[in-house]
Amino acid sequence: MKKWSRTHTLVAGIVLILATNAVALLGVAYNRSEPESTLRLTERELNLPYNWGFEKENSGIALSLQWRVLARQDEVRFVLGTSYTGFGNAPDWLDKAKLAALGFDVSKPEDTPQGRMYYDKMLSKEVLLVLELDGPACRVALARAQQHLQEEQALLKANPGKKEFEERTKNAKREFYQEERMSSRLFVVDAGRDAASLRARYADRHRYAIVRGKIQPQVVDINHKPELVAYITGLSISEINVPAIYRQIFEPLRKSTLTNQYGVATPPFEVSVAFGKRLEPWITEAKGSK
Amino acid sequence: MRAPSRTDAQQRADDIRIFQRELDRLERENVVSFSETQKRALMDHHERLLAQYTQDYDIDRDVQAKQLSLGMRIASFLGALALAASVFFLFYQFWGLLSTPWQVASLLLSAAATFVATFWIQGRDATGYFTKLGAMVTFACFVLNISMLGQIFNITPSDKALIPWAALAFLFAYTCDLRLLLAAGILCLIAFVSARTGTWGGLYWLDFGRRPENFFPAAVLMFLFPQPVNHARFAGFAAVYRVFGLITLFLPALVLANWGQASYLMVDSDVVEGMYQVFGFVGSALAIWLGARRHWPEVVNTGVIFFVIFLYTKFYDWWWEIMPKYLFFLVLGLTAILFIVVLRRLRTTNYKLLEGGAA
Repeated sequence: MKKWSRTHTLVAGIVLILATNAVALLGVAYNRSEPESTLRLTERELNLPYNWGFEKENSGIALSLQWRVLARQDEVRFVLGTSYTGFGNAPDWLDKAKLAALGFDVSKPEDTPQGRMYYDKMLSKEVLLVLELDGPACRVALARAQQHLQEEQALLKANPGKKEFEERTKNAKREFYQEERMSSRLFVVDAGRDAASLRARYADRHRYAIVRGKIQPQVVDINHKPELVAYITGLSISEINVPAIYRQIFEPLRKSTLTNQYGVATPPFEVSVAFGKRLEPWITEAKGSK
Repeated sequence: MRAPSRTDAQQRADDIRIFQRELDRLERENVVSFSETQKRALMDHHERLLAQYTQDYDIDRDVQAKQLSLGMRIASFLGALALAASVFFLFYQFWGLLSTPWQVASLLLSAAATFVATFWIQGRDATGYFTKLGAMVTFACFVLNISMLGQIFNITPSDKALIPWAALAFLFAYTCDLRLLLAAGILCLIAFVSARTGTWGGLYWLDFGRRPENFFPAAVLMFLFPQPVNHARFAGFAAVYRVFGLITLFLPALVLANWGQASYLMVDSDVVEGMYQVFGFVGSALAIWLGARRHWPEVVNTGVIFFVIFLYTKFYDWWWEIMPKYLFFLVLGLTAILFIVVLRRLRTTNYKLLEGGAA
């Protein structure tokens, strides 16, 4: 056998570095060869990075996707707030049957100690999630906030001058304002294992995007009864890199002092995000809006 | 005959120094006596060997040089880590200002250029300290290269990235005789095997650390790897594999011995904790026995460290709350003394076995 020489090492190392880069870039090219869906998102759905800690030394800008789920009707909605993003709410549609369809073994009863232990030990799985932009789920969230405001206003009317009800109405107004103007309109509305069948159900490629994300089942006590629910614990890609050509749009926005009537910073922008064949996103267009 | 490695050359130089000292003693005690010609021949031979080793490998010829070398080894290790961090933050500081093609080009070129530079340094650096620095920086550049491609193009995180990282680290380790890079490669491989074990168990790959049992197959693999694969040419490599194998076995066991809920096992947490406590004690005791039997000092030491950790953790659980602190620490001290006595007995038994074997 020929002896391993320094030249062999040099060639092997260079080939390894080049081949790894080539595989990664070919994957990117394949993903971007055809958008699977394209969503037009705004500052409501995408957050600019914070400018503290290590981020201060990071010259790159990545926008984080703000997704929500419509909370179960029986949850104490306004403790968490309907505008709550990310982890926190168990959606109605993510029931036992759906979990079974997603590949979780949910055959054990959750009301026995063994069953409880079994579900407590269950960890999250990566599945396909359907993101809906400004669709029925968003309208339901808005209607709920409006209904809550009306209920609080009726209570205030029945108890005029009472500080507690004045405060509650003020909070409900703020929640309605947030829901109407600020909160993300991007909702996770379904999950599955097969992208084609999900796409057949959600055909509009400008309203529905299919992405990868994680689901975590959990047994919780609802009305003193153990019940199996599930949470969406995150998207596999939760941040979207801003290419240098759009930097001049976002760099000033990071320093913007523009706030809404509640003092919350709201620098406005619009971004077209495409999701490719491998369901990986990228920015195709961006503009700062007035 | 194959050319010795730097470690082999250093070992021979140390042996020569010890031999010369003992020979002086033996001559003073009139046990042996060499003629001047014999002594001269011996000294000339040793001088030639040492001069050759110094020229080829820049070895330490005396104790003072060895102490300075230890300082250089520590400095090169810390320097390698600091330079790797510096490269990372340098890119972090400026990458956002570059266009995408320039970002990709700079990442690729930094990995390739540092690789070639390390290769060039290796040809001129007999000590290996600068090669280690270069190799570590190259490894950091390559890790940065692939992870930043993921960030730039929003690629789904994958455990497959660990494979090329491990491959580059092993390439450096085996061709430049670098144990630091061997450790980096082993860590990548442990992470990959554990992530795959978790995935086969139905987990999302990044959650593999939440079930410590996922590390066990990787631990067994690392511990056994030097058995079929001959590492005679690579001094200390087999020991590094075995130490990492044991750490990967006992550290998750220690976690499970105190946090049974993290286990895959569908039994009560207290039972799981009890099982892993027994596993920890028996396993580390077996490691000490095996290490002593096979003359693997690193296995004995790792076994002793984990046995003591398992024991002291248990003592803490049992007695920290109920005992006065002076008594608690007295028990710890007495246990240490007992441990020394047991190890001395073991050593004596070993000597007897050796004597028996010799007879």
